[in-house]
Amino acid sequence: MNRPGNRSGNRSGNRPFNKKMQEKLVVLFLLVLLAFVGLSIKLVTITRDNGERYKKQVLSQQQYESTIIPFRRGDILDSKGNKLATSEKVYNLIIDSKQMLRDPESLDATMSALSTCFPGFPEGEVREYVASNPSSQYYVTLKSLEYDEIADFVEIQNNKVDNPKIAGVWFEEEYKRVYPNNTLACDVIGFTGKDNIGSYGLEQYYNDVLNGTNGREYGYLSEGEMLERTVVSAVDGYNIVTTIDGNIQQIVEKYLYQFNEEYKNNARPGGNGANNVGCIIMDVRNGDILAMGSYPNYDLNNPREKSALLGSRYVNEKGLIEYEANSITEENIDELLTDDAVTYQQLNYLWKNFCISNTYEPGSVAKPFTVAAGLESGKMTGNEYYTCNGQLHVGDHDIKCHNYKTGGDGTLSVQEAVEKSCNVALMLMGRQIGKTTFLEYQEKFNFGLKTNIDLYGESRTNTLVFTQKNMGETELATSTFGQGYNVTMIQMIAAYSSLINGGYYYEPHVVKRITAQDGSTVQNISPRVLKQTVSAATSAKIVQYCNGVVVNGTGKTARPAGYAIGGKTGTAETIPRDKRNYVVSFMGYAPADNPQIAIYVVVDRPNVVFQDDAKYATRIVRNILTEVLPYMNIYMTEELTDKEREELDNLDIAIKNPADEETKETEEEGEGESEEADEEVLNANGGDITSSTPVSEEEMQSDDALTAPLTGTVLNTETGAPLVEDEEDAPD
Amino acid sequence: MPRIKLSKPKGYIDYSLIFIVLLLLGFGLIMVYSTSSYSASMSSSANNNPAFYLSKQAFATVFGLIAMAVVALLPYHMWERFAGVAYVVSVVLILMVLTPLGMKINGVRRWLNLGISVQPAEIAKLAMILFLATLVCRLGGKIRTRNGFLLVLFSPAPICLMVWLITDNLSSAIIIFMIGFIMLFVASPEYRRFALITVGILALAALVVFLVLHMPDSGLFGFRGQRIRTWRDPEAYASGSGFQTLQALYAIGSGGVFGKGLGQSTQKLGFVPEAQNDMIFSIICEELGLFGGICIIILFLLLLWRIMFIASNAPDEFGGLLVVGVMGHIAIQVILNVAVVTNVIPNTGISLPFISYGGSSVMFLLIEIGMVFSVARSIEIQED
Repeated sequence: MNRPGNRSGNRSGNRPFNKKMQEKLVVLFLLVLLAFVGLSIKLVTITRDNGERYKKQVLSQQQYESTIIPFRRGDILDSKGNKLATSEKVYNLIIDSKQMLRDPESLDATMSALSTCFPGFPEGEVREYVASNPSSQYYVTLKSLEYDEIADFVEIQNNKVDNPKIAGVWFEEEYKRVYPNNTLACDVIGFTGKDNIGSYGLEQYYNDVLNGTNGREYGYLSEGEMLERTVVSAVDGYNIVTTIDGNIQQIVEKYLYQFNEEYKNNARPGGNGANNVGCIIMDVRNGDILAMGSYPNYDLNNPREKSALLGSRYVNEKGLIEYEANSITEENIDELLTDDAVTYQQLNYLWKNFCISNTYEPGSVAKPFTVAAGLESGKMTGNEYYTCNGQLHVGDHDIKCHNYKTGGDGTLSVQEAVEKSCNVALMLMGRQIGKTTFLEYQEKFNFGLKTNIDLYGESRTNTLVFTQKNMGETELATSTFGQGYNVTMIQMIAAYSSLINGGYYYEPHVVKRITAQDGSTVQNISPRVLKQTVSAATSAKIVQYCNGVVVNGTGKTARPAGYAIGGKTGTAETIPRDKRNYVVSFMGYAPADNPQIAIYVVVDRPNVVFQDDAKYATRIVRNILTEVLPYMNIYMTEELTDKEREELDNLDIAIKNPADEETKETEEEGEGESEEADEEVLNANGGDITSSTPVSEEEMQSDDALTAPLTGTVLNTETGAPLVEDEEDAPD
Repeated sequence: MPRIKLSKPKGYIDYSLIFIVLLLLGFGLIMVYSTSSYSASMSSSANNNPAFYLSKQAFATVFGLIAMAVVALLPYHMWERFAGVAYVVSVVLILMVLTPLGMKINGVRRWLNLGISVQPAEIAKLAMILFLATLVCRLGGKIRTRNGFLLVLFSPAPICLMVWLITDNLSSAIIIFMIGFIMLFVASPEYRRFALITVGILALAALVVFLVLHMPDSGLFGFRGQRIRTWRDPEAYASGSGFQTLQALYAIGSGGVFGKGLGQSTQKLGFVPEAQNDMIFSIICEELGLFGGICIIILFLLLLWRIMFIASNAPDEFGGLLVVGVMGHIAIQVILNVAVVTNVIPNTGISLPFISYGGSSVMFLLIEIGMVFSVARSIEIQED
């Protein structure tokens, strides 16, 4: 064994390391040992007492490591594949002060590069921020940049050889909702902000379909408490393909805008051409909505722009337009829109889809329904004759016909009653049909029920129609010509389509297909027949009567050059029954012998002194159909006058009347229309939006109370003036 | 000088000491890489090179091992005559921190730029061991007198005050003072005086803590007072002064008995500041668990035991005291470092010998170990 021993006298005067010192050294070592033992015990206690808690603490701290990868919201396409709404990737410029200040030269180098590449870069502001927040790592400097805008800088930044000093800048990706056609189809589409939550229209109704799921990049501790990094990709939302045809939509909006230009600032200074003017075009063979629009409209890319409110009438805190409400003009806009709440009152009204959200009394457009109910129920044969003396005594009242002053329409057949829109004849039919059958057919035609169109904001009208309990003799009489109960435009056109297509009630719909981002189809939405409202025979008779309206009756002015169409006019009084405010409308279809499309135009209180003239609606219908029917490749069947030829020439519309093809054409037209993909890019120029101010739902509810007022006011006091219905046929 | 000659190879060589030192150094390099690679790769000042700290530390270690070998081969008595010079040199070096040669790192002026960066405090520790060993030998029996006792006790004081006040490094000042205190303890046959002094210092410390804790708004003792408050309740200052301590405790606690495995720490990913430095022990505990931590403590205990063994067999008082000084230095740093990491004492910057990142620390420690070997080689082995 080796045993070290002391060696003495190594150096003179040096004493050895003595026993006492050795003893104290051992004491010292024991003290150190004690301290080590004490610290070890402390270590054990920390682990034992707090181990679990600290473990969780450490885990929770790791969560800060995760970052969100945004999904892309799906597009909204028209039936030809044109983009109505899309999401574009944009970039936010983020400054990381900490990185930037790590190298003293970085700040100046980075700032000069940024100033060169971004014209609007607020250099002074950013320098100040970096100086006062040296440890900040996230400062949004510029927002929503396009890739083109950042490309130059990214190139400089990536070139580490020439620009080694650039640091502390990165780009955060996000998606921005873009509407390439601005105002086009704004009511149908609705809008979506940065939060990916849609408001109104398809954006709201199909919000969940359009949205995807955010991805996430994160670190986590696996079972063995190993740190793992994982990327879960974002799942992009689905696209929706609509039945809307962008070109038809554009034609519709062009003429709604033209109407507004013509009549604005007329009887109501500074006001639009009407409170609201709306139009729906629907394919009667499947319920596809081809176009739906109203004026005033708004820019989807800028929905909160106040200037869109100019010309609209002031909306009160209940969301209603009061009788004699002022129009919003440049002069009074600042006075009227006192605060955000008031501004949003106006905007909410503007954003509503007039065609499905506003309710009103339909007026004489309801007459074909009354006739259909009579024929279908067997209470009428269609061979009856009715005598009109200008008024009819119902209950305690005399209800007048439109031609009261000229002594009535005389003796009329059923067809003549529809053509001339005779109220007395219709009231007599109502007596024949009876209350129970009448109400049964109201329900068959879906009045009082939602159509369940796939758009957000359809109004409920269940409280705005009559029931067995509250329908008396007078109510039945006025209901036969469409006064006293309320409807929405979509209800009317859906029901009317069933009258003329052989009786099939299609659920109206706007979306025909849901596709994935790669274009593959996720879901096809096929047309749904909900019920048969009338028989094919009844339908044929209604078509015959309504064709007569345009040939002989009140609807002559609706016929476009070269085509035969059918339809029915409507002129409805509004509440209060002051004989000054009307909702005028035209419900039509084309072609007359084989209806393919239905069109419905409603003008809510036109801005004219005498509003009770359905021509405000029929002229719009004529303008729209003049362009839409040729666009749909429907052949012309009627002779053209020289004047009409000139008109078509001016519009640059080819005359579709090839005599040689005439034999085949009628049959094929139906399918031909949608096959022909029109690649024309939608252009918002012509499509200024028309919005309409219909009788709102609430207003209607008071209408429902209106049953009473209607009989009371209209019929009692109103010995002199009848409920004015359809305007008489006036040649253009 | 003819006396300077390599001593004969027949002297005692403590292989277990060599083994322990190399083990600690190797383990230290592994832990420095483990703790620093992530933050180094994220830091442009480290050229985003994960091995940035490792390579610097490895360089210092190799350099230190060479220095250790040279010192071990030289007879330790030759240093005796440089004792006074060493004292003066450390004073000068500390003062030089105030000249343009001084370097500021993390806002503190503590380093000298002499080609490589050096902490004068590290040199002062070595100088103090040498100086006190010489002084005690010169005093001989006078150390038993009160004056002799006080002379040895307070001779480190000027250096301590300079380290504290000039380089703003209280922990190094305390270490230097405690090295002197331990050497005096071994050299003096007394017990009573040491007990009294210890009790007195503890009482004073208790008073300071009491004052600080009961006048929380007074700002008493500046940031050091704040550290004391943090020490008592680190969670109350979790996002501020308690952050480092608390994160270190989280690391220790989350490691469990056997740890998350080497390299698997999550706390080193930016949560424990200076993970490769003063707080390296907490990451050791997180990765290797209680087991690993206690193994390191036992390794240090073995190291100290071997050094004690050499000291008590030293051929003369000078050699013995030199080795005692080295032993005291290592023991104090290990105890204080682990105590800080486990929040037994308030947070102060003390590195773990041989393991923490720090070039000058490891170099001077290895020179001290070289002296221990030099003393050991003078021990005559008696063959039975």
